[in-house]
Amino acid sequence: MNEHENIDVAPSRREFLQGTGVAVTATALSGLASAEAPAAELQPAAGGAPAGVGPTAIKITLNVNGRDMQTTIEPRVTLLDALRNYLDVTGCKRVCDRGTCGACTVMINGKVVYACTMLAIEAQGKAIRTAESLFTNGQADAVPTAFVRADAQQCGFCTPGFVVAMKAVLEGNPQATPAQVEKGLQGNICRCGTYEQMRDAIYALCNVRRGN
Amino acid sequence: MPWPANRRLIGTRVQRVDGVDKATGRAKYSYDINRPRMLHAKILRSPYAHATIKSIDTAAAEKVNGFRALYLIKKAGATVFFAGDEILAIAADTEEHCADCLREVRIEYAELPHSVKEADSLRSTTNTAGGAGANNVVAAGDYSTANFANAFDGAAATHEGEYGAAVISHQCLESHGLVAEWDDKQQNLTVWASTQAVPATAGGLQQHFKLPAGRVKCITNYMGGGFGSKFGADIQGIACAELARTARAAVKLMLDRSEEVTVGGIRPSAYGTVKVGGTKEGRVTAYEVDCYGTGGVARGPTVNFGVLPYVYGPAITNIKRRHRVTRTNIQTARAMRAPGHPQNCILTEQALDDLAARLNVNPMAMRLLNLPPNVEADAMANPRTYLGMRATIYRAEIEIIRKLCNWDQAWHPPGRGEGPIKTGMGMALHTWGGGGNGPNPTRVTINANGSVTAQSASQDLGTAQRTVMAIIVAEILGLQPSDITIVLGDSSFGPSTGSGGSTTCPGTSPAILKAAETARDAFLTALAGRLNVQANQLVIEPGVVINRGNNNQRIPWANACGMLGVPNVQGNGDWPTQQQRAQNAELRTEWQTRLSNQGVGGVQIAEVKVDTETGVVKCTRFWAVQDCGMIINKLACESQVAGGVIMGINYALYEECIFDRQTGRQVNPDMEFYKLGGIADMPRIYVHMHDMPERGVIGIGEPPTISTCAAVGNAIFNAIGVRVPHAPFTPERVLAALHARRPANP
Repeated sequence: MNEHENIDVAPSRREFLQGTGVAVTATALSGLASAEAPAAELQPAAGGAPAGVGPTAIKITLNVNGRDMQTTIEPRVTLLDALRNYLDVTGCKRVCDRGTCGACTVMINGKVVYACTMLAIEAQGKAIRTAESLFTNGQADAVPTAFVRADAQQCGFCTPGFVVAMKAVLEGNPQATPAQVEKGLQGNICRCGTYEQMRDAIYALCNVRRGN
Repeated sequence: MPWPANRRLIGTRVQRVDGVDKATGRAKYSYDINRPRMLHAKILRSPYAHATIKSIDTAAAEKVNGFRALYLIKKAGATVFFAGDEILAIAADTEEHCADCLREVRIEYAELPHSVKEADSLRSTTNTAGGAGANNVVAAGDYSTANFANAFDGAAATHEGEYGAAVISHQCLESHGLVAEWDDKQQNLTVWASTQAVPATAGGLQQHFKLPAGRVKCITNYMGGGFGSKFGADIQGIACAELARTARAAVKLMLDRSEEVTVGGIRPSAYGTVKVGGTKEGRVTAYEVDCYGTGGVARGPTVNFGVLPYVYGPAITNIKRRHRVTRTNIQTARAMRAPGHPQNCILTEQALDDLAARLNVNPMAMRLLNLPPNVEADAMANPRTYLGMRATIYRAEIEIIRKLCNWDQAWHPPGRGEGPIKTGMGMALHTWGGGGNGPNPTRVTINANGSVTAQSASQDLGTAQRTVMAIIVAEILGLQPSDITIVLGDSSFGPSTGSGGSTTCPGTSPAILKAAETARDAFLTALAGRLNVQANQLVIEPGVVINRGNNNQRIPWANACGMLGVPNVQGNGDWPTQQQRAQNAELRTEWQTRLSNQGVGGVQIAEVKVDTETGVVKCTRFWAVQDCGMIINKLACESQVAGGVIMGINYALYEECIFDRQTGRQVNPDMEFYKLGGIADMPRIYVHMHDMPERGVIGIGEPPTISTCAAVGNAIFNAIGVRVPHAPFTPERVLAALHARRPANP
């Protein structure tokens, strides 16, 4: 088994770290949301070593929210930093920068990924979606709208990450139960403590009345 | 100028006016500001907890590709006092190159002895933290009521126990930092800073650069959390602006996560031995505490010494307290959400429950017996003051929460319950001052096109301050909050009091009301002139102006604005000055006890399940009853309370800055090993806002996080029948407490 395959079948860092506190570690490996395997684009060259790029900057094209965007970056630049520092797409936030907090959550080909755990060069040729994609023609999508109605945000710095994670669950399974949607948020951390209001938003989105 | 008697919007649930912008990533935080040709800066920090800098060599770093500017924060010969202490900052064309530059800096240190553990500092014989003192201990308080020696004589029972809470980090998700940019002539500086005090940040930089007033502008449109840690320009603010001046380019300097945790703020620890005694009915007759804690290298107290015991102090006759600060080689503590109060609460409320258990008294009944009494003189002079009504507030709130959580049926004596997973309930009370002040100048502008703008230099930390402004202005002008354009977070709009101590809403709301009413009056006067009626014949109702001088003609708002004949009318509002209030009792009463007020109660109850085989604690349900005077936005208030509870559960169960004795460094300056609960870790939270509009506006930020940890600690005690002394109540500590109860050799 070469290294590429090994990465492909291993649980992603996002899945592994989905539980952030003590109580959820037992369920950490059975998460609903799943990440793209990192390094999927790095093809092994002859002799088994990855084909080399860098260290000098190279031109890349990223498809962000349906638009091709070009920039020049060094290969070591993460997708998160490429979006924020080079393309001025700042809805995904840099908080832990280590695949723990979920503030940089984006969708890649429909699946949630921590943008800080992926190199920008690996994201070429893929459909990258950030929270900004959930506002079109002057209208907010149902997920951010539910966040606003339930007041499921305070400082709001973690919110775009939560919104993208929730959107991905509902796009993957429009009939998801509140428990399934909540499970999809376990890879994200909010410091202001808006989880209770997020649950209100989840129930509203699932059209389920929240009991006492 | 009273609050409107009939309130259409104030006190209702109003969605945030900036909610969609934030939830869809369109809102630009300081961290998100990208200026043309902007550089990136980083700070090089000491890896040692205590050392002298022997030499600094930046020659190689300055040759690295992309290097642009260097700013020395410390020079050779200086001493660093904690791992993370700032040495120099570098700006480069990209973040990647900036990291390359820092790696090439060569610094020689001479290491010095350090202490990063409270217990080590308590026993220290040398001073490793700098400044005066033969060792790391500072005597921070010694107090006793008269004749305390006999205080415990005659008590039906006494209890002595250990309680405490660890050093924790603010962990703001948007780290500290800013973007700084000078104009072409290097005379005017603009910063986009993540700060809780917009004008104070501009002021600090103005002072550093010795600039005339008005030359520094601070902008904070959106702010990603502060919790007390973001006042002023800070070292990174000065470094960033210095680099921007040297490089003649905009510079962004935001702390990374490791820096945010190691230098962005800590809450001091507090550990103590508490002895408490009482009558058989549960009336506490004596309270004695000997406590210590660390605020890093800071010398200041780590508890709120004067109000220890907490809440119940005025009802307890015999009190003795001693506090020592155990200085350590850790960053200087910063204010954190209700400074000193959670520590006080932990050192009081948990001891109370332990005594209640000894006396076989219900903890709720015991609290009712020991409430601080209403101060009659205050009640007579002004029934809206906290001192005049505190017992009344607590009694009302305890009665509400008793029913909400079904306490009478659900509570059981400590340690009861079958099976390995035990359920328990615990309660705790808290108090906070809050209260508003000026200056908080606010301007409301009504434009001929019907639009309305309100501006203030104050900031929205996530507290929904924008929405507070919009609600009040819309209430007065008969509009909807979404009709009002709010501009805030800009120091060029004038002074503001900064967002600390739950003072923003009470500090700004009366000024906004005054500005809105002044603008309304100017608007009606101008309109009356155009309509040839008296101003008092015009009345605003939702969406329309009624002309009583013309058969109650209903003029839609936009049409009325179009008739003004001038581009706009404005109204300004601000507090009367301190001096004006000192000289005019009616003015003082109006602004400080009717429009705004200070002093709140609050009661919380936790339900937990404790797995006695693994030690894992799960908080399953939580109830919070909170007053804050007149509620402006019930929705945002409930959010603040639930958020405060979640922060409290975090520091009760998960959070701790852990330091390594050998290296003097924090081992978890991150988010994987510094634990913060996710959604699955948090209970169902039931919030009840106890609205008291007659008191005026009081802040809500600090109170709801104060008593949470003590309530959780008491719930754990109730579940397993043993006290877990120190928060966070980790599985290891729960098991240790359970095992200690058992005889070593049964």
